[in-house]
Amino acid sequence: MGTRKKSTNKDTMLARFGFNFYDVFIYVFCISFALLCVYPMWYVLVASVTPYEEYIKGGLMLWPRGGIDFQYYKAIFNTKSFTNSIWISISKTFLATTLSVLVTSTMAYGVSKVHVKGMKVINVLVVFNLFFNGGLIPQYMLYQNLNLLRTYWVMVIPGALNITYFIIMRNYFTYSVPADLEDAARLDGCTDVGVFFRVVIPVSRSMIAAVTLFIAVINWNDYYNYMMFISNKPSLQPFAWVLRRMLVDKSMMNTVRDGASRLGMELPPPMALRMATIICAMLPIMLVYPFLQKHFTSGITLGAVKE
Amino acid sequence: MNQSSVSKQNHSNQNKSLVKRFFAYIRKYWFIYLLILPGLICMIIFNYGTMYGIQLAFKDYSPKRGVWGSEWVGLKHFKEMVQDPNFIRAFKNTIIINVYKLLFGFTFNILLALFINEIKIRKVKSSIQTCVYLPYFLSWVIFSGLIRVFLEYPSAADMGGVVNQIISKLGGEPVDFLKRPDLFRGILTVTNIIKTAGYSAIVYFAALAGINPTLYESAQVDGANRFDMMIHITLPRILPSVAVMLILELSGLFISNFDQVYNLYSNYVLSTGDVLSTYIYRIGLGGGTQFELSTAVNLVLNTMGLIVVLLTNRIIDSLDVQGIF
Repeated sequence: MGTRKKSTNKDTMLARFGFNFYDVFIYVFCISFALLCVYPMWYVLVASVTPYEEYIKGGLMLWPRGGIDFQYYKAIFNTKSFTNSIWISISKTFLATTLSVLVTSTMAYGVSKVHVKGMKVINVLVVFNLFFNGGLIPQYMLYQNLNLLRTYWVMVIPGALNITYFIIMRNYFTYSVPADLEDAARLDGCTDVGVFFRVVIPVSRSMIAAVTLFIAVINWNDYYNYMMFISNKPSLQPFAWVLRRMLVDKSMMNTVRDGASRLGMELPPPMALRMATIICAMLPIMLVYPFLQKHFTSGITLGAVKE
Repeated sequence: MNQSSVSKQNHSNQNKSLVKRFFAYIRKYWFIYLLILPGLICMIIFNYGTMYGIQLAFKDYSPKRGVWGSEWVGLKHFKEMVQDPNFIRAFKNTIIINVYKLLFGFTFNILLALFINEIKIRKVKSSIQTCVYLPYFLSWVIFSGLIRVFLEYPSAADMGGVVNQIISKLGGEPVDFLKRPDLFRGILTVTNIIKTAGYSAIVYFAALAGINPTLYESAQVDGANRFDMMIHITLPRILPSVAVMLILELSGLFISNFDQVYNLYSNYVLSTGDVLSTYIYRIGLGGGTQFELSTAVNLVLNTMGLIVVLLTNRIIDSLDVQGIF
């Protein structure tokens, strides 16, 4: 009797807020998954600024205990290969993104004009590359012939035409830039050049900004080109590669730890140094994340399902 | 004689006018052609340029004589490929891992979309969305760093990751997760879900947003509860998207995620974790020198992938949704 009364009470309590068991399940499920997605990042951030004495106690850290201490960041920024790699990453991200957006967007606009002869063929030729390529070794041989191997430019130039974003931008120019707008401008005496610079670019400004951000994130995260086509040239390594080495390469870790002990620090735990490195690699992405989210939820990157 | 010279002249006139018309056409649309020029050059050099090297798959490469001068050996490397136990293993692993991802990842994405859609408090809903999209933007290097930090095995210099700390506190033996072949595929599947589920769910949100709310109201009048409504109203609405995503997923059955596996695997887990893309890398540039075999495997995979994609595109076209070509 008592339990029954209790449960009805509970039911009415929840019901007052418009809740039932079904809702509770859904909320618990979604919130736990959301926490699973972000807690690791929060933990790493907190642990990387926790002072040594507290850090070694371990446990699930929810907030920094015993104050905030940037000693691990000092240790990694004291290492020359770190600071150098950050500059490499920033400069290559800037150059590769600029080049890629210019080349990809102009081509996407041109190809979206399917009434111009040749564009349909070129479109198929571009998209074909998404599924068929020579692969790693032919790529290596090609860069060797072009004298790109083991140079900075191999991280910048070959990715100039981004096929995924070519498709996205082409679809945008085809479906989202109103053809009437372009026609009206032509009636007013605009040439193709005028239409492109005065109508199309202003109309697609936010799409181009979004694509720029996405391509910038890809370039910031890229280590593949270094690993495959440069490898073993520390003066050119990007930050993503330094992070990878911090995770798996003991010699890199020892260099940083030795440097830290020379600074008069207690020998830092490898994990803490890794966490500080992860945070540095994540920081730029976190800064632009609000913009990324806004743009991709507005459907720019999708558009696959017709209404 | 006379006749033939006349026809010749006619012919050359026709040619001339054709060339003329061609240039007139180019001049009319010169700006469009100019716009695609940089991209076209990049594509020819960097995308089609690599196809020249595909002949390596049919040759024995000698660095002295270059790609062109090397000797043709026919299908030798393809025979090597099917006899290589490591290739068979990588092929098997790729398929198994993709089937896991399909069984668990794909269903999870749909469930997540349905559940998030049921959340009616807007602030909670958008916060949850913000959280679940986030991991998608981290690279696999960063994400593998997070995974390693959590699963780390205790060592002399360090106390190990949080998961092992909890296991020890509960009185269990610490587990070296990333070195256990039996756990590796599971780790790949779960981490892939955490990283991509939110992003994959977006496709379904788009379809869910278009549901007419009066449907729910009339169902409520008819006495349906929320679960009934989810099954009978919401789910059918996203089925077309589900079908498309399923086909796309199936078309990637031979494609393995190099970034994910490369950043998580080690020699300890090659038996269950080595996939085709890491195999192609390892025998080519990552230590091995089997350039021809690496190229041959890539060629086979690309050809299979292309066939599947063409079929997929045809099916999707018949479903009345926009394909990629």
